[in-house]
Amino acid sequence: MDDRLRETLSAMMDDEADELSVRRLLSHEDQADVRAQWQRWQGVHDLMHRGHSPAESVDVSVAVREALDGRARSRAPVVSQHREEPRRWQWSAAVAMVAAALLVGFGAGAGWESGEISPDELASVPVTEAPEIELTDSDLPVQEVALQGLDEKQREYMNRYLLEHAQHNSVGVGQGSVSYARLVSASGSY
Amino acid sequence: MKKAGTYSLRLINWSLPALLALILAMATPAYGVTEEKTAAYWLERLGPALNMTTYRGVFVYARGSSVHSMQIAHRYHKGVVEERLVLQDGASGEIVRRGMNVVCVLPEQGKMQLEQIIPSGPFAEALASQLVPVSRWYRAELQGEGRIAGYDVVIVALTAKDQHRYSHRLWLEKSTGLLVKSHVRAAGGEVLEHFQFTNLEITDAIPDNEFEIRSEGREISRTLNGEGAQADSQNGFSSASRKQGWHLGWRPDGFEPAAAPSSGKGQAVAFSDGLAAFSVFVEPAGTVHMPTGASRIGATTIYMRHMQSENNAFLVTVVGELPPASARQVADSVQIDEAFVLGASDQ
Repeated sequence: MDDRLRETLSAMMDDEADELSVRRLLSHEDQADVRAQWQRWQGVHDLMHRGHSPAESVDVSVAVREALDGRARSRAPVVSQHREEPRRWQWSAAVAMVAAALLVGFGAGAGWESGEISPDELASVPVTEAPEIELTDSDLPVQEVALQGLDEKQREYMNRYLLEHAQHNSVGVGQGSVSYARLVSASGSY
Repeated sequence: MKKAGTYSLRLINWSLPALLALILAMATPAYGVTEEKTAAYWLERLGPALNMTTYRGVFVYARGSSVHSMQIAHRYHKGVVEERLVLQDGASGEIVRRGMNVVCVLPEQGKMQLEQIIPSGPFAEALASQLVPVSRWYRAELQGEGRIAGYDVVIVALTAKDQHRYSHRLWLEKSTGLLVKSHVRAAGGEVLEHFQFTNLEITDAIPDNEFEIRSEGREISRTLNGEGAQADSQNGFSSASRKQGWHLGWRPDGFEPAAAPSSGKGQAVAFSDGLAAFSVFVEPAGTVHMPTGASRIGATTIYMRHMQSENNAFLVTVVGELPPASARQVADSVQIDEAFVLGASDQ
């Protein structure tokens, strides 16, 4: 899967993909790869916005459907030697993607942050001190990069930064064992 | 002589908190007035307690999807901090520190180099030498008492005063001030990072043999102080390229440049508000293409972006315990100096 397809996938998550690139994505030869990537990102996306209701992820699948409808309408000009076969492929992929999105949306991916406290538990944690923090309107959502979406080289690259930071931290402001644990955590796999 | 020195230190260590606890107990009616001060008092104790308390135990550390548990033995013996940490899960390994000497026995984990795991500084100097008063950026309050790993604790909440940092909650053992549990929390109360002793014994003395290396494996030893840079020189990840030829146009209030000994050149690439820290790396873009955006592992955000300056591409990375929006703001404010651009093309 090349960067262009990844970008399309990413754009799809933001409802910003154009029809042409979605079509290109859906005709990619390794649909399993595409599906897996989508599933990972979607899972990460949902988990990072843990507060979101599962229903919100349906938006994404709607986007896929819309893109597919568009594809179906404009299918004619596409010249393909194996017209029928790719089409079936594409549809099965689309269905799978929608299914994956729904599945993840309804909590199948909730085990991802196993080290964390579950949303249920979080909800029951009494917030005795409501921090006086308000995000200003200028705080646009930050583009998220899923660790799972990175290839090995990229992960390694990121790991090094994490490690170096943990090292700075252990000297500058560490809290004893905590900073040490950060270091080990950064060097291990997550 | 040495013995006497140790003794008097321990005396200070134990009698001061006891005395203050007594005073506090007597001053209960004025609790509301003294509250701020007492939280500050516990914070002041935190740093020294981490070094000078003698203890052994097992703690867990969780962030993002990873949970680690580690066994630790720590003592302050003849004026020297000695520490032995043993990983309890995954691959076996241990780290022994005696004063400034660190010996590390760790199997290779994936692609990570053994050298990289050696901490470049003492684990616990930290809060003892704070430059910035924490209370300016966090509201410190006592939040009652509790019990952790069999010890009575006081709970200190450090609530962030703005959106550029996370809030912390610290559980400190009552008689020593030792940190036995901590949370890093997002503004909504979500716990991002969790550290906690599950088993703890605070004691007067731990025998020498508990500080001996027992694991088998490749041993690496290093003396701390200024020699931290050599580990990075492989795989094109050279710290030589981190000459500070750039500056930040913006950083959250209270984050001051902190020494970054691991780079070995005294460059200020780390910034700290006394509790949280972030590091900024600006490097000529390498062969690995990194996506732009933020990733989060527990309380740690890593934000990367590319920037162009005079036809040279740079990768800006901000890593730290700060919210993604703040990390992005810091990364976006990086300005590259002309000299750095020239230097980059040389390398």
